[in-house]
Amino acid sequence: MSPSFTDSLIKWTLAAFLALVFAFLYMPIVHILFASLSTRPNFPYPPEFNVASYVRLSTNTVYQSAFLNSLLLASCTAVLSTVLGFLATVGVLRFAGKRALIYAIFFAAPLFVSEILLGISSMALYYMLFELQGNMLTAIIANAVHCFSFCFLIMAAMLYKYDWRMNEAAIVCGASPLRSFFEVMLPITWPGIMGSLITAFVLSLNGLDVSFYLLGATPTMPSVAWGALRYGVKPELYALSSLINIIVFAMIIALLVAIRLKRKAV
Amino acid sequence: MQDANLQRRLILNIPTAFLLLFFVLPLTALVVLSFWQTENYKIVHDWTLMNYTTLATEGAYITFFLRSLVMAVGVSVTLVALAWPIAYFIVRYGGRYRIIFSLLLVIPFLSGEVLRLIALQGMLGPAGLVNGALIRMGAAPLRMIMYSNAASFIAFIYLYLPLVVTTVYLSLINFDFRLAHAASACGANRFRIFTEVVWPLNLSGTIVGFMLAFIPTLSASLVPRFLGGPNGTLYGMSMAQQFGESGTWALGAAMGVVLFLFSAVALAILSYGVDLRRTGFTGLGRQ
Repeated sequence: MSPSFTDSLIKWTLAAFLALVFAFLYMPIVHILFASLSTRPNFPYPPEFNVASYVRLSTNTVYQSAFLNSLLLASCTAVLSTVLGFLATVGVLRFAGKRALIYAIFFAAPLFVSEILLGISSMALYYMLFELQGNMLTAIIANAVHCFSFCFLIMAAMLYKYDWRMNEAAIVCGASPLRSFFEVMLPITWPGIMGSLITAFVLSLNGLDVSFYLLGATPTMPSVAWGALRYGVKPELYALSSLINIIVFAMIIALLVAIRLKRKAV
Repeated sequence: MQDANLQRRLILNIPTAFLLLFFVLPLTALVVLSFWQTENYKIVHDWTLMNYTTLATEGAYITFFLRSLVMAVGVSVTLVALAWPIAYFIVRYGGRYRIIFSLLLVIPFLSGEVLRLIALQGMLGPAGLVNGALIRMGAAPLRMIMYSNAASFIAFIYLYLPLVVTTVYLSLINFDFRLAHAASACGANRFRIFTEVVWPLNLSGTIVGFMLAFIPTLSASLVPRFLGGPNGTLYGMSMAQQFGESGTWALGAAMGVVLFLFSAVALAILSYGVDLRRTGFTGLGRQ
């Protein structure tokens, strides 16, 4: 056997494996998309196009209030964790010096504590200190702790090649530090910041474990979905799930297109 | 200079304070609570080791823990074995489509645990695609994938595969493949190149991926509750029940501490040989 033959054999075996994995990852998603559009959700083949379950979903008031709560929670969490993550990134990359590694490990530590432990321990703390049952603010904070590490890692990955002399150059030319941030740093680093915002938004929009213990009776999308799940899966849930998948997909495509356009413009 | 010093301190101190207040402090509270008692849904401030004695002696809890441990190790090992060929293919042969491939892996991860479980139940459940197709073809439905530990196993693989592939990918993309070529030029065969060059130099990233799957699997509560069936109770699920239905918070807190300690010990053992600079988590690679 010649080496080039073995090489292409390895290559095509791996390619076939990758295709299998993608099928495994996407088959459930496509399946429930068909199921949500069909009148026979259990075995929706051949596919139909029937929006009845989407109409029922949009008129259901429980889902509506849950959607608004989730939106509020996710937007606040995204902004909070991105701001903190940005500070942490700048701090570690620029100011930490020899202690950069220690700080980086500390900032990434929430990644290694499971969400449910975070939710339960925060709930226990607030209950022990204030006899609080949990509210939106505590849920936002606990979610932000979890998302913070992701934001930190994403922005660190984008920022570590950033040339800090550009900020200094702007300041030397007479810009205030604030202005050098908004007019020099932000335009260059925004893909990382957008990526971090989107990731935190999506993670907290979908996370059940943290919000479940810290929100009490306030419904969010995942908790309503979870509650409905225990009484059997309904086509509305398939519709909800498909909708969220489509939104996430659209957000990622938009980010990709935006980065492409930006690159072309430069 | 005074001003710059202040600014520099603030930038690092704000996130540090945030984590201390809302990450370290709650975990400390959990430890304190685990040494107290709950009676009639009320927390009693009596220092006692009773919760831990219960956990160490009651058969059910030991079974749950061992089951969780076996599940977590099995899932993580399988995931690493699956993730390597995928990441390797994307890095070596992905070319300009690398970013598309890796994003396609991440997108399902972003739609959330509950919704992904709903999707998976659409495949595996009694009325799901697999069994629906089997019944249509006249075969008997597969009992194995309905409400069993096997179903939980498939669900964990499905949930955490993107995470592990991404970490191995990050490690491999920062790996200098000229080293492999050098080994090849020196006469090493494929197997030796892999075991002596590629694998050891990417071990750190692999261990991070392993841990990122191991920890959530060890404390999983949703998957076993939804897919595990009668014999599928895992430790995290039992812990969640202490805080929910049964209201025995102190015992649940002790279970949380056990989970946390166990994850920390596993992390410590595994990170003994880890050089974080090699994981591909950038920002650490430049020193």
